[in-house]
Amino acid sequence: MNEFNDIFRLLGFQFFQNALLGGTIVALACAWVGLFLILRKEAMIGDGIAHTAFGGIALGLLLGINPILTALLVSILAVLGISYMRRRGLAQSDSAIAVMMTIGFSTGLIIISLAGGFNVELFSFLFGSILTIDQTDLIIVSILGVSTILILGVFYKELLSITFDEEDARLMGIPVRLLSLAFNLLVAITIVLSIKVIGVILVVALLVLPGLAALQLNLSFKGTTLVAIGFGVLSMITGILLSAIYDVATSGVIVFTAAGFFLFTAIYRRLE
Amino acid sequence: MLNNVQSGTMKEDKSPVLEVSHLHVARSNSLVIEDANFTIQQGDYVGLVGPNGGGKTSLLLALLNLLPRTKGTIRLFGQDIESFSRWEKVAYVPQDAISFDPHFPLSVRELVALGRVNRGNIGRALKGGDWDAVDESLDFMGLSDVANRRIGQLSGGQKQRVFVAKALVRKPEIIFLDEPVVGVDARTQEKFYKKLSDLNVAKGITILLVTHDLTAVFCRMSKVMCINRWANLAEITEGLEPEKVLRKAYGEHFHFVFHKHECERVFEDE
Repeated sequence: MNEFNDIFRLLGFQFFQNALLGGTIVALACAWVGLFLILRKEAMIGDGIAHTAFGGIALGLLLGINPILTALLVSILAVLGISYMRRRGLAQSDSAIAVMMTIGFSTGLIIISLAGGFNVELFSFLFGSILTIDQTDLIIVSILGVSTILILGVFYKELLSITFDEEDARLMGIPVRLLSLAFNLLVAITIVLSIKVIGVILVVALLVLPGLAALQLNLSFKGTTLVAIGFGVLSMITGILLSAIYDVATSGVIVFTAAGFFLFTAIYRRLE
Repeated sequence: MLNNVQSGTMKEDKSPVLEVSHLHVARSNSLVIEDANFTIQQGDYVGLVGPNGGGKTSLLLALLNLLPRTKGTIRLFGQDIESFSRWEKVAYVPQDAISFDPHFPLSVRELVALGRVNRGNIGRALKGGDWDAVDESLDFMGLSDVANRRIGQLSGGQKQRVFVAKALVRKPEIIFLDEPVVGVDARTQEKFYKKLSDLNVAKGITILLVTHDLTAVFCRMSKVMCINRWANLAEITEGLEPEKVLRKAYGEHFHFVFHKHECERVFEDE
């Protein structure tokens, strides 16, 4: 019972409310964007952009600017770079991601060595620090997250059409290239707003695991989307609460919970 | 000799739907279609035949403006294809339509509804009328019973019909199909061709279909186009000798034995 008392006590604190609200927005955006990424077979672009964003975080810390904003700028540049390399035939998708990822990450390393290290703050961006989300972070996360969710909601059917059959979508006059670029920008935004919550290293888990778990249930697209979002948000809230009760790393527990949903649904599918 | 019963092609005052003039198409710097000239009329049911690598798919893609041409003009519904904007009148079922990821999370109804997504409703949710058209299309193709099933759970024949339903839901005036019954058993193929004949006759939809099934072409369709870099269009009439037409595409060593009972077998379910 003490655990429940602890949770009720924590719910009264601003930092815990920030964590739950920010985490829910992030989980919702990640699950929805992530489902499209899985179906487009581009899940690794999430990992690539997250690592590229590391360079932007280091740059922000060096210049004294909010690292989320510099990470966003660098991530958007990475998306544009990947799109350019693919379009011009300079590299295939996976190679283009590898190029941008390594450039971004090595830029971060150089900046860290030049600055003599950033210690704890940098560590929090690598592994997430959801309980330190302040009002400014929450405003940024809310604006970016809600915008992402709204754009996905508006262009839901066009994105599905492009994902399922790009050639037919092109024939029907849907601006495939523009929407693909817009979607990749949404991926960049979603990853950047997730960094504070779950960290650069584990963000791809929040993108992939809820969608993958929902896909095991053989539902319609609408059903799969809703269940993926449900798994994502539940993983986030459960992870925050469990980590608060047992005083362990929040991002680790969030990923573990999401992995648990995947394991559970995978077993259910085998038994079905 | 030939038993052509396509009444959809017997309309009077037919207007040209597709006019192709001196069309040249190249792939990887190699010419795959050379100087193609033909006109497809409204209500035509055309079988595109020819050897593998002869340019059938390339021609289809060029006609849809999905493959650039090196020379020549294409007019669709009287309008140059470069400035053509009414793509909702056109439907396309690609060669690999049914080789989608079987785990893709789409119900049959959701997949057919994707046929209603076009430049005219970008950013807007599908309306009641769109869903009525989806249900009508599913009903026409005999798929109402499986509307809520996942697409990966369907048989090969059902998948083919779902993609035709998706093409039909936009209420097109012309449909391009690229080898739609590959890998499907003979009985299902016959049913599929029967359904296309119904479409052609009942709705007057112009159909261009790439196939290797010569029996289906000469029993079901109104015109045959032989393609092997060059394209020759011929009307399938009583006096037509298939061998002469097909030799243009398949070569002098080709021998075509036409069995009239094959046509009768095809029609036994009518």
